[in-house]
Formats: sequence, C-alpha cells, structure tokens
Amino acid sequence: MQLLDQLANWNFYLFGPFPRGEMGGLFLNIIMAFLAIVFSFVVGAIVGYSRLSCRMYVKFPCFAYVELIRSTPLIMLIFWFYFFLPYIFGSGITIFWSAVIALSVYASAYEAEIVRAGVMAIPKGQMEAALSTGMSRYQSMRHVILPQAFRIMVPSFVSFFVSLFKDTSVTYIIGVIELTQAGIIISQRQPDKMYAAYISMGIGFWLVSFSMSHFARRLEKKIGVFDLESIRPDACRDDFMLLPAHKKDKTPDTLSTSCPPQS
Amino acid sequence: MTKNWRRTKIFELNYEFDWSIPFREPYLGMMITGVKVTIILLVSTSITSLLLGTAISIMRISRIKIVRMLGTLYVEIFRNVPGLFWILFFYFIFPELLPSWIGDKLNTYTYYPVVAGILGLTVDNASYVSDILRSGRLAIPHGQREAAISTGLGRVQQYFHVLLPQMYRAALPPLGTRMVHNFKNTSLCMAITAPELTWATQNIESLTFRGIEATTIATLFYIALASAMIAVIIILEKVLKIDVSGISASEA
Repeated sequence: MQLLDQLANWNFYLFGPFPRGEMGGLFLNIIMAFLAIVFSFVVGAIVGYSRLSCRMYVKFPCFAYVELIRSTPLIMLIFWFYFFLPYIFGSGITIFWSAVIALSVYASAYEAEIVRAGVMAIPKGQMEAALSTGMSRYQSMRHVILPQAFRIMVPSFVSFFVSLFKDTSVTYIIGVIELTQAGIIISQRQPDKMYAAYISMGIGFWLVSFSMSHFARRLEKKIGVFDLESIRPDACRDDFMLLPAHKKDKTPDTLSTSCPPQS
Repeated sequence: MTKNWRRTKIFELNYEFDWSIPFREPYLGMMITGVKVTIILLVSTSITSLLLGTAISIMRISRIKIVRMLGTLYVEIFRNVPGLFWILFFYFIFPELLPSWIGDKLNTYTYYPVVAGILGLTVDNASYVSDILRSGRLAIPHGQREAAISTGLGRVQQYFHVLLPQMYRAALPPLGTRMVHNFKNTSLCMAITAPELTWATQNIESLTFRGIEATTIATLFYIALASAMIAVIIILEKVLKIDVSGISASEA
C-alpha cells in the first residue's frame, strides 16, 4: 500500500494550493474549459451564423477567422496571448486570464463550425412556415430556427467541452497550476512520488472526460447528431439570414445548399 | 517613418520589431532545425498512427470478444487522456518502466525527446484514427464482404483488397481533419524540449527577448502547411470519389 501513502496529497491534485493560495488542480481545468466555452459562445454563434450568409463580404471574414484559428496550434495561441499581448495592451493580466482568453479564442472557431452545421441541419421549410404565420424574420429566427438548431447542437457542445477540457492541460506551459502542472511539481519536488503523480494525473483527466463523453454519447442517441464533415464549407443558406441578400422570388425553391446565382 | 524600415514602431508599443533576428545565424539554424523536426514528427506520427489505428479498428470489429474488448479498452484509455499527458509519460516514465540497461540508454540518447514525442503522439492519434476507421468500416455495405468471400478471397485478402481501401475512402474527410489536428499537436512536443518549431521560437524569445518575429513566422508556417494539407485532402477526395448515385443502399 505504498502507492496509497504516496497519494496522500490528493488535495493538491484536485484543488491545487487552494485554501492557502489560488485555486488549481483538476478543478481549475474544469473551470477553464467551462469559462472558455461560455465566453466564446457569443462570438462563435455570430461567426458561425454569418458564415452561412451568401454575401461574400460577410462570409469571407468569418471563413478566414475560423480557418486561421483552426490551423494554428493551441500552444501558439497561448503564447501569443501570454507573451505578446502585454506589449500591446500593457501588463496587468494574470496567467489564468490570458490562458482563458486564448482558450476562448480557440474555442470560438470550433464553436462557429458547430453552430454552422447545426443551423444547416434545419430544413428550409421551417423558415417559410414561420414567416407564413406572420412572424418577422427576427422573430422566426429567435423562436423557430435557433431553438431547434441549439437543441441538436447540444451533443456536439458536450463532446467539444470534453476536447477543450483535455486541451486545457496545455496551459501548464505558461505556468497555470492545473492538474498537469500539479503533477509535474510533485514529481519534481519529490521524485519518489513520480509514479503516483503521473497515475493521479491520468486518472483525473480520464474520469472527467470518460464520464462526459459517455454523457455526450447518451445525448447523441436521444437527440441525434449531425455530421460536421459532410457539410461543404462553401455552402450558404441565405434563407436563414436576418437580411437576405437576394429577393425571395430569385432564390431556388429546392433544399439545395449551394449559393443561388448572383442576380 | 524611420530610416530603417525594419525598425518601425506600431502604436505606442514598447517593442521594436527587428525582422532580421530570425534570419541571423544562431537563430536561423534553430528555425531550420525546428522546421525539419516538425516535419519529421508529422510524417512519422501520421504513418505510425495510421498503422496502429488500422490495427485497432480491425480489432474492434473482430468476432472474438476478448480481442474486441482489448480494442475498445485501448480507445477508451487513450482517447480520454490528453495527448500532452502521453508525451510527458513517454518522456519521463517510460524509460523508468523499462529494464535499466535499455532505459538508461534511452535517457541519455540525444534525440530521445523526439522519439518520446513520436510515441506519445502516435498512441494519442491512433485512438482517434481507429474510431474514425471503425465508422468507415460500418459504412461499407454488407454485400461487399459477401462478394469478396464468394470470389474466394481469404480473410486477410478480403481486408487488403476489398475492405481496407473502401474504409479509407469512406473515412477520408474526418481522417484528414484528424491528421491536420495531429500536425498541430506536434507543437506539444516542445514540453519535453524536442527541438521543433515552437520550441525554437520560445528559445529565441528567451535568448533575445525578441520572440514576436520568430513566432509570427512560425505561426505563418503552421497555417500554410495546415492549409496545404487541407487542400491535398480535398483534391484526394475528388480524385477518389466514385459516382454511386445509380446504386441505392438496398441494392449494394
């Protein structure tokens, strides 16, 4: 039972130096992932929704934003926000907040993809039916399209939360005392506890993401899931836009997801 | 405008850009080594994780229950722990678990960080690849297998000539996304001081306190290579596409 003795400081893995210092450990990983997903939600939803527009000057900046963020490694984003933003905005941001901001920017690009695919999955007739009941475009978006879209997005958001939770381990590189950093601190200060440190790191991450991904899988069975990969990136759905670019009689009356011909 | 265009100030930054730094000698060498190591990591982990992922996806659809359970166990263990953990694990713990005559050799080997990075990225990526390939296998209609049996192919031949090519083709779009993700994950190897591109930029930052230039160039490199990978995948998809519009699911 030597291993159990070595796990005596489980407090540090879970909460970091919490009662006497800042919050840390596994709990911090969950907090960071949660904050990032909440902060990035508005930007992600706006960018993802605007990417469906058929107007080039709305669509292209959103496309460029998503693709730029998605093809940059997370560790690079974290460095950008940690080392180089202080040059521009002055110092005064703690490592925790710079990590959360970097994670939020990272998450917003992925959330935009989820929102785009979720809105794409709504049949075209929904908007027409809502408009024919006399709702305005804003009302039909607010009461008909978006509630349905967000309902089918929930499983994707949960599984994205799992992946973001695992990605928060990267923030150890700038010194946030989350679970990875806690394990490394213990394994460096007390080399005899190295195995225990790594085992508790692994088990901590595994338990949270295993339970969450099973929850996501159950939700998928219940709500259904859409295929993110099957939706073409150049597709646009002008009929769902608040300000459609084309006159109604010019849009084709099929379920086609391609751009209607330009005037 | 100042006289030297390389030393211009933007806003009221307390930072002067000096774009010559990443192109000066000790730092240029670091950057070039970084690009080389990143590409080595990318190519080797793509190949190994594709092989391991294929093996595990075949295990997961096996008829023998224990083999199937082992495959599922692998995926559940390796998917739910971050890739960074596996990289650290293979760097710090793995040589200790091995017998000392080989472990000591590994610990003193100069390029062990790169090897540990390859191992860690492989086991992490293979779990995702196997999951993707498994859903690709499930997308193949049952008749394909029956047709392969009826032409007299053995079990191994069925896989190599009929099922695997179709598995890869069906799984190509998510597989491509996963490989781009794997490429971005190579930057995690800087945590164990593998001299790849991100590590090079941070080394320059810590040596000169002028890391923005090197980091900009590295970021552009990552974006360019990731976009090129996506372009190759889209082209491959178009080349490999077979028009099956005439065949309905029930016929196939």
